[in-house]
Parts: sequence; structure tokens; C-alpha cells
Amino acid sequence: MIPSDHFVKFYSEVFKYLQKQGPEAIKEYYDTIAEHQKTHCLKQFEEKSLAGMKEYWDRIIIEENCDADALLTDKSYTFYMHGCPSLGKVLDNDAGVCDIYCDHCPGWVLPVMSASNHYCVYDLIGKDIPRCILKAFKNRCDAEVYLEKVKKRHPEHPELVKCNF
Amino acid sequence: MKPEEMRYCSTGEVHLDFHGSTYVGLKYLLDHFGMEAVDEVLSSTAEKVYKSIYERLQRGDSSELICHWRYYLEREKCDFTLTENPDGTAVLELRECPALRQLAKENINDRPLICHATDKMNQVWCANSPFEIVVEHLEKGCRQTLRRK
Amino acid sequence: MIPSDHFVRFYNEIFKYLQKQGPEAIAEYYQTISKHQETHCWEIFTQKGIPGMKEYWDNIRKEENCDGEVLECSETVYRSIMNNCPSLSKVVDNDAGASDIYCRHCPGWVMPLLTKCGYYCVEDLVGLDIPRCQLSIFKNLEDARAYRERVLKRHPGKPELVESNFD
Repeated sequence: MIPSDHFVKFYSEVFKYLQKQGPEAIKEYYDTIAEHQKTHCLKQFEEKSLAGMKEYWDRIIIEENCDADALLTDKSYTFYMHGCPSLGKVLDNDAGVCDIYCDHCPGWVLPVMSASNHYCVYDLIGKDIPRCILKAFKNRCDAEVYLEKVKKRHPEHPELVKCNF
Repeated sequence: MKPEEMRYCSTGEVHLDFHGSTYVGLKYLLDHFGMEAVDEVLSSTAEKVYKSIYERLQRGDSSELICHWRYYLEREKCDFTLTENPDGTAVLELRECPALRQLAKENINDRPLICHATDKMNQVWCANSPFEIVVEHLEKGCRQTLRRK
Repeated sequence: MIPSDHFVRFYNEIFKYLQKQGPEAIAEYYQTISKHQETHCWEIFTQKGIPGMKEYWDNIRKEENCDGEVLECSETVYRSIMNNCPSLSKVVDNDAGASDIYCRHCPGWVMPLLTKCGYYCVEDLVGLDIPRCQLSIFKNLEDARAYRERVLKRHPGKPELVESNFD
């Protein structure tokens, strides 16, 4: 049995394999993960919207030992990851890190956000830095304004900014 | 030249307290290391930070300097007139210098040091260029005449 | 006149000069800046405490066009995050190049001032070439100590990216 605590190191190996198969294989895996994750959170996001996201990720912060802050307003939900245990473990790993590891989060989160009619922007900060910012909105215009702000943080690296619109 | 063509074109709000911080920096260098240090830092600011203005002036092109004057003085909402001539010369009549205005608010009364910063940077910009800038002090500002040598 | 908008690029040249003079020259400059900054902050920090600090930095965020947010604010804790520092960004977008100690000027002046006001501070510098950081201020030393432990875990092997004004 691979312990729950070591799942992410195995996950990283899956991504390394899929990278060799090509971008479509990776995308399909993200969609598969998203479908699975919907069983955990889609109903909560649909029924409780941003407050549901806070509820869901507050539990994740505890269970996955995240060093994070979550801010909820009536317009947005922001998840600040200051010390990602997932990338943290994958970096502390004799097998080495997969360079697209961080993309897996927006990979599944963004389709779930779309399915629940929310607009979401990810600031990945840096793919070897275990920090990121997820911000979800009910209103597309608010999300678009925020997207422009995040793009300014990465003038040479648009790949560090992900969104579902 | 249009402002957006300048090497540095700042937008958004303005934090005028930075004039106080500029003075503190100059004074610190003067008190601890002497005027040589002040001039060394001002020279590298003029030549390296403002490389674009500097190199254009060397080539006989004053357009960025003139644009810089107009744009930043407008941003800092001061009383000035800038007359530009087709031959690249200009006269800047700065009736109220925003740096001096801010220092007065902060009860800092050391005009010579702040004005020296302008003089030194002008000197560096114009050295080995076809231009010179003559500065005349006015009550709350100065007149800077950019002319050909 | 050096425009307000360009102050930080001039400031960056001062740090390059002072680096050549040695660490004591830099430390003394930080103290000088801190003393100057008291004219802007002392009254509001001492009279209004942490809400006053929030008021001060809310105004700075606006005037300096910062991309930042407040993570937490109460009578005893103030935590803020800078997502795109306009100061370091300008110094990096600079034909003269950035000083590699540029980021340290912030804790350099903030920490002595907060010490004098009786508050405890932890700064997460994230990375000295990354225009992001987190400033956290505490009324209680124990809260500050616990928070510093959390921040140190973000930088295994690089404790120099965590600054604080207490032992």
C-alpha cells in the first residue's frame, strides 16, 4: 500500500510518465481527476458557492497540513498557499520533481469551477516554489479584472497564470 | 516623444514622501562619506539608471529629457512652464519645485543639497554631449535652460 | 529633481555604494531611514496601535500602487502580503541593475521602528529577486515566536529569508 502521506510522490511519477506520452494524455488525466474530485466538492460549490469553497479548503488545509490562509468575501474566495505540502514533498524526493507538477491543481480545480459556474484565476508564482494563489469569483467581470492584475506579476511567464475563461 | 516611449513611464498614484527619502539618502552619504560619495551615486543614477536619457543626449537628441521633465512635473502637480524649440533646446520654468514643496512639509530646510542633485545629474547628462543646462534659482523653484554649447 | 516615481532606482544606487563600504554602513543607513520614517509613522503607530499600522499601510498600498492584501487584522495581529512589489519591480526594470540586498531595506527600517513602539515583527522575504513578501506584526511575543517557526519552515536551509526583531 502506498501510504496516503506518500501519494504525491507517486503522483509525480504518474505525471513524468504522462509527459512522455504528450500533452493530450496529461489533459485527459486532469479531466479524469476533475471528474473524481467532483464527487468530493461539486455539490458543495454549487449549493454554497464561495462559502462552500471555504468550507472544503478549510478541511484540506487541516488534513493536508497546509501552511495557508483563506479569505472569503461576498465577491471572492482566495486561497493563499504559503507552504504547499504537496510540492514540498515532491521536492523532498529522491526521484526528483516533475516540472509540470504544479499544473495538476488548476488541472482539476478549473473544470470543477466551470462546472459550478464560477470563474477562477490561479497565480502559480513559480513551479519550483511551493506557493500559489487561487482566487474564485461569482462574477466574470471581477475575475477578468483580477486576471489582468495577475498577468502583470508574470510579464515574461504567462504559463504561470491559469484561468477557466 | 510620447510618455509611453520613455524608458520609464510610471502610472497610477504618486507617493510624494519619496522626496523626503531622497533627501535622507543624500544627507546620509554627505555626512558619512562626503560629497564625493554623493556625486558618485548621483553620477551612476544619471548615467546608468537614466541610460536612455543620457545616451540620447550624447547623440544630440534631447527629446526624452524634455518628455521626462514635462511628464513627471505634471504627475507631481506643480506650477511650471516648459517651452520646447524645434532645435531640441528648451526652457523649463519651475515656479514651485515639488521636491522643495515636500521638504517644506516635512520641515526639512536644506535646499542646497537637493538642488545639487539636479545640478550634478544635469552635468553628467550634458558632459560630452552637444548640450548644456543652465540653472537659475527662483524663490520656490528654478529655471533650467537646455541649450546647445 | 529626481521624480518621486524614480526614487527607488536612486535608492538602489545608494545601496550599491554602501555595499562597497561594508555591512556597518548599510546598518547605519537603515537606522537613519527608520528615524526619518518615525516622522510619518510614530504618532499613528503609538496612538492607534495595530489598526493605525493598517491605516498607514493601506495608504501606502494606494500611493505606491502595490498589488497586496491584508491577510489578517485585529487588535493584536496584522498580517499582509505583497504579491507584486512596485519597489523591487522598478529596481529590477532598471538599466543600472538591481542591488542584491535591495529587499532588506524594508525590514531594515520597519523592524527598529516597531521595536521602539513595542511590537514584534516577522518578515517572510520569499526570495530576494522575487517582488513578493509578507509582513506580520504582533502585539504578543509568544504569537510572534509561533508565527516565526511557521515561516522558517517555508525556507529550509535559508533562514536569512526570514527577518524578525526578537530573539
